[in-house]
Amino acid sequence: MAAETKLSHTAAMILQAVNAGYVYGFSVMEMTGLPSGTVYPAMRRLERDELIRSSWEQQAIADAGQRPPRKYYKLTRSGKLTLEASRKRYPLLAKLIPSEQEEQV
Amino acid sequence: MTLRPSALCELLCLALLRGASLLVPARQREEWWREWRAELWHVRRTYTAEQSFSWMAEREVAAFCLGALPDALSFREQFQQRRIPLATTMGSATQCVQVLFGLIAISYGVAMLLPEVSAILHFSAYRDTKNLMLLRDAHSSDDSVATISAEQYQVWKRRRQELFNGFAFYQVAEQSLSIENSVATKGAVASASSNLFDLLGLRVRYAREAPGSLPRLILSEQMWKRRFGGDPHIFGRMVQVGSESAMVSGVVDPGEWRLPGKTDAWLLLPHDLGFSERVGFVVAHLQSPHADWGEAWHMSAPTPAGTANDFFCESLTERTRGPGDVFLFAVLLACLALPATTSLPLGEYRASSRRLSRFTRVRRWSFLGCKLVLLLPIVYFVSLDLAHLRSGMDPVTSEYIQLLSAFSVCLFGLRWSLRDQRQRCPVCLGKLTNPARVGQPSRSFLDWNGTELICVSGHGLLHVPEMATSWFSEQRWLYLDASWEILFAEPGFVTPGYF
Repeated sequence: MAAETKLSHTAAMILQAVNAGYVYGFSVMEMTGLPSGTVYPAMRRLERDELIRSSWEQQAIADAGQRPPRKYYKLTRSGKLTLEASRKRYPLLAKLIPSEQEEQV
Repeated sequence: MTLRPSALCELLCLALLRGASLLVPARQREEWWREWRAELWHVRRTYTAEQSFSWMAEREVAAFCLGALPDALSFREQFQQRRIPLATTMGSATQCVQVLFGLIAISYGVAMLLPEVSAILHFSAYRDTKNLMLLRDAHSSDDSVATISAEQYQVWKRRRQELFNGFAFYQVAEQSLSIENSVATKGAVASASSNLFDLLGLRVRYAREAPGSLPRLILSEQMWKRRFGGDPHIFGRMVQVGSESAMVSGVVDPGEWRLPGKTDAWLLLPHDLGFSERVGFVVAHLQSPHADWGEAWHMSAPTPAGTANDFFCESLTERTRGPGDVFLFAVLLACLALPATTSLPLGEYRASSRRLSRFTRVRRWSFLGCKLVLLLPIVYFVSLDLAHLRSGMDPVTSEYIQLLSAFSVCLFGLRWSLRDQRQRCPVCLGKLTNPARVGQPSRSFLDWNGTELICVSGHGLLHVPEMATSWFSEQRWLYLDASWEILFAEPGFVTPGYF
């Protein structure tokens, strides 16, 4: 997917949330306040467009926590470029969902 | 055992997720289900406390689960194979089908304009033709010659019958027809027993009943139009037929009369009185227990003189047969001859290891089937048109012309269908264009030369070898992937979706 891909505000928020460390669907929901019926389909589309990629948590880690393994999402290289472009388009994005480093600062 | 409300809610949520998972394509369903179940576990843990039950919390969990439905639908949309639209350029499948429909309409229109073909198409079969037998003297081999006397007919009719349950008699003779004081017209009139048309099941238009002892005159369409100008008020009026007075009682459509003897009118005599000494024809209806006797057989029967004579009984099946049998026979012959005139494969598409989607393959075969189905009525009507182009042609000659023309047109049509199919893109069914000769014409079998055609929508290239070699005997199709899309005018056509 080209870096200049224009995302909707919702998609940009979700991308920003994933980048900020909210790496599974429910945490993105909690962070953005969006319902599950919006967040999960949007994440599917972002993954289809190769802006994020998913991976399953190791079974051993999930077993240690006595819970089912979760599916984690992570930004791809083109996802980061697209997010950069989206931040310029939506200047408040970074303020709405500050990334972990920004929070520490 | 009682079910706790929280457990019941959990079960309902899982059932909702399971139901939504059915919307997800089977290949991705398991992973989708795993993700949503894991997320639900975390959502439930976040919102609900261990041992207590809260409607508010359950409502949050349920709202979360309801989001699975749009997600499943979006997932389904995303992974569902994209249907490639049919080509819309010149030579598209739709245009081809439209042309075939146009040809059907034209050939049918011509058939309607030709009176003989129109009569054949509107022919209503006689009733129970298999059991309707035409009787003649066994010493006569020509069934168009009258051989039975009216006296013989009366003998059969009077005697108790085990074979037949109905007889009708007619004798054809030239007679004059005149209405009131007008000039008399000569015509071939069949003096017949009153039950003739009922026995045959022949349809009579404008049918009028006549008083008990009055003969009825049924006109042929040709006589009605020629002599009476097609006047519908003629029915019910009296005419003089030879020495008999009769009431005009109806018209028989052209082509309906299939029995021997060309007739312009039928004079139905009540009570079988008034037959001349001349010989005529007898039609009899076989009783159902003898229906399996076959279409022709001999029988011996008493004569008016008290002796016995041999008679030949022949079913009317052959006489009342429509042109459909000749057409079907011609189609069968054309199908048998087809492999000898062209190659049957639709092209070798082995150059790609990928397979077309089921929908695309079904669509391609449906198009071929549609062409073949539409071809049949064209062949039928065209062959009938050619066979009856000249009116008054001998029926046997017409039949031969129909057979020959149906065979030729059908063979040509089948060859065209296969050839056309081979020259079309298997994906969008558009006609391949821009033929380009490649390679040098050579006598060496090692050199490649042939023709390449391309799909204008960019789905692929067709290589047709100039001469068959052991390694490249038939045409080959090369699919183009999405990376070629930029070269073609209609973006979005070339996608991996169709594989």
